[in-house]
Amino acid sequence: MMTNQTLGQYREDLGERREFLTLAFSPLNAPLQSRWRNNGLSADFLGEYVVTFLPSTGVVAEAWQKEIRHSVTYIANELLENSMKFHERNVDIPIRIHLELTRDHIMVSSSNGVNLEQAERYRSFVGHIVEEDPGELLVKQLEANGADHNSNTSALGLLTIISDYHGEVGWQFEVDKANPEILTVTTRVVLPLKNLTGEQA
Amino acid sequence: MKSIKGETYEVHLDEGGSTIYFKGALRLSGEQDYAPILDLLKETINHPSADSVLDLRELDFLNSSGITMFSRFVIEARGRVSMSVTILASESIPWHARSLKNLQRLMPSLNIRLT
Repeated sequence: MMTNQTLGQYREDLGERREFLTLAFSPLNAPLQSRWRNNGLSADFLGEYVVTFLPSTGVVAEAWQKEIRHSVTYIANELLENSMKFHERNVDIPIRIHLELTRDHIMVSSSNGVNLEQAERYRSFVGHIVEEDPGELLVKQLEANGADHNSNTSALGLLTIISDYHGEVGWQFEVDKANPEILTVTTRVVLPLKNLTGEQA
Repeated sequence: MKSIKGETYEVHLDEGGSTIYFKGALRLSGEQDYAPILDLLKETINHPSADSVLDLRELDFLNSSGITMFSRFVIEARGRVSMSVTILASESIPWHARSLKNLQRLMPSLNIRLT
């Protein structure tokens, strides 16, 4: 039986929230393809949205904004792609993407409903990520994807977020109160603002 | 000239068949959708007379499935002893400096020109 659990760097202590934004999508049975374009639109929007709250004057601030806009867009896009791919279609749990800004951090998270089997598979995959070196795992995954055309590329998104974007990633598995066969999985990525270009505006 | 166009991207192979240009934002949903582009990429290594050049200087965005496509290409290219591959990249596009190095870890002789 599954119980509520958090794994990885699931941080609750990010300090006072300055801004936040949530987009929620109904868990329709519509084909993935028809939803796909919206992932890009939503991810671009979150990237554009967050930089409106950051200092914008001067060359350094402009370069910093560009990095943040891109990082948030990339992370939101990957999280949303995974949530759209793996959400449980027959339950009434919306797919959500959430953005939060504090003084020192940006947090991007996505959540979706999964069945027990999917939750177990994801939890075991997360266990690997938590235990191994993400850079090594990333190269291993690229080699595996090169050799096996059926391999699961969703793993790669999370590994690039950790290895290339230095995101701190944490996961929460929450059993649905109404249906113990269903869980909500939240993947949360925290970017410390000062690490994005090596300095803080 | 062979090319593939989508709503947000464009890929074209030059007349000589050894240089391929990418533009825009590539966020296709997986291996199947990337297959035609991967096929076009592989055409650059079917010209043993010229080295393969991937011009990504106008490719603003690439999702992780796209990274997988490039890694499949690189894995195929590194198996050919006489093959040299160059990637033209841009310092003003954030993902280039962050993620292209992963391809170099797959193929240490890969030449990345970041300008």
